[in-house]
Amino acid sequence: MSDESMPAIERKTYPIDHLANKLATGIGAGRRLGLMTARKSGDGDPLVLVALLIDLVTGGLRLIEAPMRPGDNTYSSVTARVPQAHWFERSIRDFFGLTPAGHPRLKSVLLHEAWPQGFYPLAATSPQAPLRDTQARAYDFLQVKGEGVYEIPVGPIHAGIIEPGHFRFSCLGETIQNLEIRLGYQHRGIEERLQRTPWRRIPPFAEAISGDTTVGNALAHALAIEQLTGVAVPPAAAALRAAALEIERIASHIGDLGGLAGDIGFLGPAALFARQRGRALGLGERLTGSRFQSAFIRPGGVTRPLSEEMRRSILADVIAFAADFDEARRLLTDEPGAVERMENVGVVRPSLARDFGLVGPAGRASGQGYDVRAALRQPPYDVLDWTPAGSETGDVLARAMIRIQEVATSFDLLHQLLSTPLVDFEIMTTLPDTLPANAVGAGVVEAWRGELIHLAITDANGGLLRYAVKDPSFNNWTGLAIAARLELVADFPLCNKSFGLSYSGNDL
Amino acid sequence: MIRTLIQLAKGGLATPAELFPDLPEYSRGLPMVTDARCSGCGDCAEACPTSAIRIGAAGEVALDRGRCIACDACTGTCSTGTLAADRRTRVAALRREDLVLTNAPKRIADTPPPAPGPLRRSLHIREVSTGDNATDLEIGASTNPIFDGGRFGIHVVASPRHADALAVSGPVARAMREPLLRCYDAMADPRIVIAVGAAAISGVPWEGGYADANGVEAVLPANAFIPGSPPHPWYILHGLLLAMGHPAARG
Repeated sequence: MSDESMPAIERKTYPIDHLANKLATGIGAGRRLGLMTARKSGDGDPLVLVALLIDLVTGGLRLIEAPMRPGDNTYSSVTARVPQAHWFERSIRDFFGLTPAGHPRLKSVLLHEAWPQGFYPLAATSPQAPLRDTQARAYDFLQVKGEGVYEIPVGPIHAGIIEPGHFRFSCLGETIQNLEIRLGYQHRGIEERLQRTPWRRIPPFAEAISGDTTVGNALAHALAIEQLTGVAVPPAAAALRAAALEIERIASHIGDLGGLAGDIGFLGPAALFARQRGRALGLGERLTGSRFQSAFIRPGGVTRPLSEEMRRSILADVIAFAADFDEARRLLTDEPGAVERMENVGVVRPSLARDFGLVGPAGRASGQGYDVRAALRQPPYDVLDWTPAGSETGDVLARAMIRIQEVATSFDLLHQLLSTPLVDFEIMTTLPDTLPANAVGAGVVEAWRGELIHLAITDANGGLLRYAVKDPSFNNWTGLAIAARLELVADFPLCNKSFGLSYSGNDL
Repeated sequence: MIRTLIQLAKGGLATPAELFPDLPEYSRGLPMVTDARCSGCGDCAEACPTSAIRIGAAGEVALDRGRCIACDACTGTCSTGTLAADRRTRVAALRREDLVLTNAPKRIADTPPPAPGPLRRSLHIREVSTGDNATDLEIGASTNPIFDGGRFGIHVVASPRHADALAVSGPVARAMREPLLRCYDAMADPRIVIAVGAAAISGVPWEGGYADANGVEAVLPANAFIPGSPPHPWYILHGLLLAMGHPAARG
């Protein structure tokens, strides 16, 4: 295990007119657009566009910054050349009021009718949305025209215990011609809140961004702060963090597999997976004291040592659990009726998955090999024996099989991580009192849904100028819209469950 | 089919015999106020990221579990043992003020038993999520084979028309205000509102910002309050049974 601190981010500034070209060339050369946003500049100068590029070969990070022209809130959209920027640019318009000229489908992505026109919370100094008597933002759904085309509006509130979002299906007969997904109902003003929170108080807030990804968010935040401060994490802490991350992956994938079985109408495995999800939460509770493993990962390390007795007990259960999971999942995957229900449904072709930058299990089911743990050579994964899952078929079955493979891999990783004693090692490094000025730190994590990014940029006084969060769902919602196209309305729940996306993490 | 049945049978009975057992000792639970005398140092209040703790000059402690996100920042700072981990699972309340624990004589155990309501024998719930998806998962878990809310007549239903109770998770930010009110309007009387989780109860940790994520009661009065972030499924069942006036809630 390496205990070196992370390499610094390469930071470059370009004129705004060169941005599209720089991003397109970077992506052509094997980089990926991790996130794109904007930030204020410290001294009241024009806003600056910010893009994080990830080198998939070396794992290196590069931050590209492009200041807007003074007095001009318009720039040339990059989406035509870099399709995966499409939601990022819409989000920049929602929150900063910058208009990407030439964007093929420019409309709000998170702040729609509930919000007043001209209200740009991340560009304002102390934003306060007026409540009444204001002109609401307009929103037009894409209209599919033709004889017999009708719309099914669903949500924001759904039938089950699910987060809110609006799905607008345009159908011909039983076939979905277009699905437009409108989110933003969970928007809680998180980025603005984090930016004005004293940085040492952020960790419990970061965990609340999307509670089902408590570990992923805590880890992404910790990595961002550690890169900013140049702090190295003790190897035992890195191992315990990885154990927590894999337990979160196991619990979440098993929960979604149960949901998938339920939506197929195969209730035996659904009940078994519900119990097994509880068992996985129990592993996390023994490791961290909390079923969702909160207050465990903190910048500098972890808060709780793992006693030898507890390590043995978790390890013993990991071994037994892996076998039990394999039996339970066979009920689903050996059943021809269940497999047939998932096969060739909700296909996302690899070319589209690449263009739209899909991540995580959904990306890997469609031929995108990207897995942060491997691509960024993160400790301790760089010395463990494992390979990322992969498939090309891109249907519901592929996404289910990827998750099954990943649960098995996570059990194996836990076995490796917990097979040696971890007592009597340092688990926390002291952090400096202040953040460095004019610096940047990025935490990139393979959360259970895929690439999760926290980006922190400081001002001239070491205060947080920008704290940006990119949930994997922000990339993958487009994948769901693609998967549903030309499928039957009745296939949508299955497609949806196979992606299992976050609304809270997406809406922020 | 046979294999599925064998697997299910092999698992045995998932539901434990005991209702509302204490959490295991390695679990953090929620903080509580003990009888140990407070030195008045104020370190816990300083450490709390959501201002859930107030300390008076003479060592009067007020811990508001409706604002507690269970981050465990406070108990480690307490040298007198006045704040300690509470692993009991009957922690919900019918009145908001009963979530505030103090070292004055009144305790949560003294909460007067609720008057039996019209929803006593079963409770059909419409859940609305507004930005706290861990709590959604724990509400789901409270009806799974382990916690089995169904044995008390507790069911999650798909339409507000079928619901007796509106269970809200998350802080109800600006864009969910209108959908939540419409859902409530679609419910028939008698109907109750249950705030599930600290975010729903008080909006923590996002309250006071431009998105008006200030909790359920900024929009609708609530009849029951379930603390925790997220609440343990036992906490949730306790709150639901309390709201029903079910004897099992009292223990």
